[in-house]
Amino acid sequence: MSGFLAVYRREMLSLWVTPLAWVLLVVFLLLQGTIFYSIVVHFTSLADLAVETGPVEAYFGQESVFLLMTLLLICPALTMRTFAEERRSGTIEALLTAPVTPNAVVLGKYAAVLTTYVVMWAPTLLYVVVLRRTGAVDWHTVASSYFGLFGIGAAYLALGTLMSSLSKSQLIALLLAIFAEFGLFVLGVGEYVFEPGLMRDLCAHVSMASQMEEMSRGIVDLRRVVFDGSLAAASLFVTGRVVDSWRWG
Amino acid sequence: MIEAHELTKDYGSVVAVRDVSFSVGAGEVVGFLGPNGAGKTTTLRILAGFLGATSGSVTIAGFDVARQSLAARARLGYMPEAAPLYPELRVREYLAFRAALKRVARRERKAAVGRALEQAAVTDVAETPIGQLSKGYRQRVALADALVANTPLLILDEPTAGLDPNQIIEVRKLIRELGKSHTILLSTHILPEVEAVCDRALVIARGRLVAEGTLAELKARQKSRQSVIGVHGDAARLEAVLRDVPGVRNARARAARDEGGTVELELDMADDAEPDRTVERAVAALVAAGAGVRSVGPVRASLEAVFADLTRDEASEA
Repeated sequence: MSGFLAVYRREMLSLWVTPLAWVLLVVFLLLQGTIFYSIVVHFTSLADLAVETGPVEAYFGQESVFLLMTLLLICPALTMRTFAEERRSGTIEALLTAPVTPNAVVLGKYAAVLTTYVVMWAPTLLYVVVLRRTGAVDWHTVASSYFGLFGIGAAYLALGTLMSSLSKSQLIALLLAIFAEFGLFVLGVGEYVFEPGLMRDLCAHVSMASQMEEMSRGIVDLRRVVFDGSLAAASLFVTGRVVDSWRWG
Repeated sequence: MIEAHELTKDYGSVVAVRDVSFSVGAGEVVGFLGPNGAGKTTTLRILAGFLGATSGSVTIAGFDVARQSLAARARLGYMPEAAPLYPELRVREYLAFRAALKRVARRERKAAVGRALEQAAVTDVAETPIGQLSKGYRQRVALADALVANTPLLILDEPTAGLDPNQIIEVRKLIRELGKSHTILLSTHILPEVEAVCDRALVIARGRLVAEGTLAELKARQKSRQSVIGVHGDAARLEAVLRDVPGVRNARARAARDEGGTVELELDMADDAEPDRTVERAVAALVAAGAGVRSVGPVRASLEAVFADLTRDEASEA
């Protein structure tokens, strides 16, 4: 894994000295803030306080479709430049002629976008802190919710990294990633479309919305973890092969 | 240091490099010479491990670039053709990254970066973002990158491309200096560059190695063979006159250049002929035949001529 740390640090530096990460961070927090604000306003207007769920569960769970929509924008934008930009500018030649393995390059870049993703979510912890001033917060569900978000991010970002390795154009990488990630999301909606049977089970299994719905209630289903993990691992493995294949182009 | 054996690289149906074999010994400074599109960059990319050869093999310091790729790459400093760099990084940040990537030990990195900055004469822009640098500076930052791990072998793809004449002189001086402690293979399509810095040259044209040797050998090879005489008169008749001169193997008129009817006759001499005497006899024969001799080309000895000749022969064959 020689070179992993160097690639990771360079990638972090490039992400945060250019406007991209900051712009995404601002857009992301604006969207999340708006969603959270609407949910809190909704709950404060409820006459009946005997509801079963609170704003935290709503934010991460029942209303997670908004949250996932922002991820469909943010994740592809975070990953689009990882390989596409290196190939367009030619820096990939300097990178791959250094004594590093393709896997170290892929994982270094992936770890950097994943770290950035986590950094983007970190400020949303303040929402929970704000809520805590007015009522009890179940930290267990908060933890499982963030765990669910991490899983989805890990899978989406790996998929996006793979898409970025398929094109020299950032725009095409962006579109491919949105297409793949949105496709996955839409497949999840199939859970409510198909009759009970194989297709419905399949759709339910890959549904990111259902994953968040469960995790926001504190249910961590191992199948969800395995799905996210294997999607990420498979994408990164293929990316490694793609990078290696450029030698034979 | 480099052993290339029957390298071939094709892109689909296009063969970029064909059966190229050569070796570069430790301590040599070798020029890799050829017109644009001859296969220089492809060959260097194979040596640097960026491209895989379709067939053939390369070893760097005894390590096979395909099978022991990391070990081979750890022993060479490579400067790619267009000097690609990350515009958002500062020069020092970039070199620190490259040093880490090339496994320079953490505590030696700072010194290694400082040394590379100094060698490539870019210390004054160490804190400048690369995107703000001029082409000349970027080229030298890429050179510093090749130097940062202090590898025994340097492979430089057109290190002086895009530089102004003063910078070219600087870089050549640097390469000569580096040549005392490193093995260097550099590509160029500029002949004086080879004469200025290299001990030996490899000449490539249309994907094939067409000549190889020290500069003296390449020139000598040319000297014994050809001469050019500019005459005024009937080309076909004078060709025949020249062919009868002792020591001349063949004579042919080049395409006439429209300079008041001057025809250039190219003279191939027999291997055992004495060049100067043969030229004297040829001129005497032409004058006797009534031709106006306007110029006698110096027996061409410049590398330029060797190069033109070798690469032209290839072109007409294809």
